[in-house]
Amino acid sequence: MIWVQLVNGLMEGMMLFLIASGLTLIFGVSRIVNFAHGSLYMLGAFVTYALVPVIAPGTVAGFFAAVLLAGLVTALVGVAFEMLALRRIYGADPLMQLIITIALVFIIRDAVRWIWGANSQMVPMPDALMGALVIGDNYFPIFPFVIFGAGLVVVLAMIGAIRFTRAGILLRAGTDDRGMAGLLGINEKLIFTGVFAAGSFLAGLAGGMAAPYGDVNYLLDTTVIVSAFIVCVIGGLGNLYGALAGAMVVGVTKAMGVMYFPRLSMVLIFLIMAVVLVARSMGRQGGPAR
Amino acid sequence: MSGLHMTPLRWGLVIAAVVVLELANRLGGAGMSLVLAEMVILALFASSLNLLMSYGHMVSFGHSAFFGLGAYGFTLAVTKAGLPVEAALVMGPVVAAAGGLVFGALCVRLTEIYFAMLTLACAQITYTVLFQWYDFTGGDTGITGFMPARFGLTEANFTTLTVAVLAVCLLLMARLIASPLGLSIRAVGQDRYRAEALGLAPRRVQLVAFTVAATFAGVAGMLFAVFQGAAFPDYAGLGFTLDVLIMVVLGGLHSFWGGVIGAVVFTQLRHWAPLITGHWGLLLGVILLVICIALPHGLASVAGRLSRMLGIGGRA
Repeated sequence: MIWVQLVNGLMEGMMLFLIASGLTLIFGVSRIVNFAHGSLYMLGAFVTYALVPVIAPGTVAGFFAAVLLAGLVTALVGVAFEMLALRRIYGADPLMQLIITIALVFIIRDAVRWIWGANSQMVPMPDALMGALVIGDNYFPIFPFVIFGAGLVVVLAMIGAIRFTRAGILLRAGTDDRGMAGLLGINEKLIFTGVFAAGSFLAGLAGGMAAPYGDVNYLLDTTVIVSAFIVCVIGGLGNLYGALAGAMVVGVTKAMGVMYFPRLSMVLIFLIMAVVLVARSMGRQGGPAR
Repeated sequence: MSGLHMTPLRWGLVIAAVVVLELANRLGGAGMSLVLAEMVILALFASSLNLLMSYGHMVSFGHSAFFGLGAYGFTLAVTKAGLPVEAALVMGPVVAAAGGLVFGALCVRLTEIYFAMLTLACAQITYTVLFQWYDFTGGDTGITGFMPARFGLTEANFTTLTVAVLAVCLLLMARLIASPLGLSIRAVGQDRYRAEALGLAPRRVQLVAFTVAATFAGVAGMLFAVFQGAAFPDYAGLGFTLDVLIMVVLGGLHSFWGGVIGAVVFTQLRHWAPLITGHWGLLLGVILLVICIALPHGLASVAGRLSRMLGIGGRA
């Protein structure tokens, strides 16, 4: 049982990392904490819900195609928001930048309720992933393994892109020293839009991938964003690898907590965050994404 | 930013506002009175956050924790400690203040976004405990039926009572801001390093400001529990935090009246919105977008600009 929960925890941690990585990369470049990131996750889950019955229903390929499309939809929403709204107030009071992302939270939530209603929806798992592996006395559902693996592929691709591609170099330059990058003739606006697109894509992807493993409802936005914040803060905002560690700690703690002290699992996670924050006192300054 | 400066014109505006409120309260029927009571209670709640944000420059993402603690401190004092309702009224603010002291001691060690995140965590812990500790707090079903709602007062009389409480609290806040302690809070808010160089202890000053704001939020939460005749975990939830944060931003930072103005605008908008659209979230989102882009200093700045244009206002 404990091993099964561990696998669940790792899967949840991986999904949390996909969300938190976008959040932390956006913060690293623009110093904006995007409150709407959980909303993009929720939107990704709903788009997947809408697409799964349409694209080759029941097949693994159909499921992942739906998830990919969901990621593209959320990326588009994120880019539109960045270009139409957020871009106008870079350099304004940080509080207003936060509030404008909260505005997007309200808009997405209302739109989702408008389109899909207020009830919880279920996304069917692909037939091939429904079974379980039997190892010793344990029944391991296959799905978490697959999602963990898919998440890992995405994460490795992302890290590879950050380290080895030109876009990644620009991103790191922007995170390290925005002004200097600008002086060197790098188009800052392009970096901002790009990182927003990538982050929104990852959030939608995570929402879609995790959708079959729980209820899909319009309240996901705030639960997810709070968890993602905790992950980022444990890891240090702007620090990608810190977020990876934080996501695994939070995912596994949640899964284990559900088993041993179901009522306290969330409290436990907040306590971890509070301890980390206070122990660091000023918080980690947020290293560049390397 | 200077302290509260009351010109005769401003006194006139305040008195006129109270008169209009009381007329609407007496002539608008019971339904109107309930709307106004909620508005006034939220105005107190928003003003407590405004105190923290506009003067102390501390952006809290967990202010609802103290709204909830005030409500539950009072409610549990009646149901669990068996205090008479009048005596329990002391417990709401006291419990909120205690919560403010404990959470504040942790939070003031951090600044800016990390401060906001930790306040959020503290509020979520409070919410989770209220939500899940069934034996003590009743969990998600809350605590109901322990007293007649509104002390059994009529809707109109209760609204008048909330106005009186708000007036007393605003007076206390104004006195605080004008006091040496208020000056310290503003100094630390503007530049903590300079304040420290001048011999102030920034963290201690911030802790005092945080606790005071928590106490006023506790009074508001307690009033809300009396108003509803019930306490629910949602009072400490993220929803209330966002609402009250939006009120302060709507009303305009850096203004004493920001919380009150924001609460009036927000609650009236929410009340009348169904006449225009069934999509309150979309409407609020779009309004916030427009305000963030067009008026980064909130609605109170429009009032300030207007009065300066007409040459009548002092500085708020």
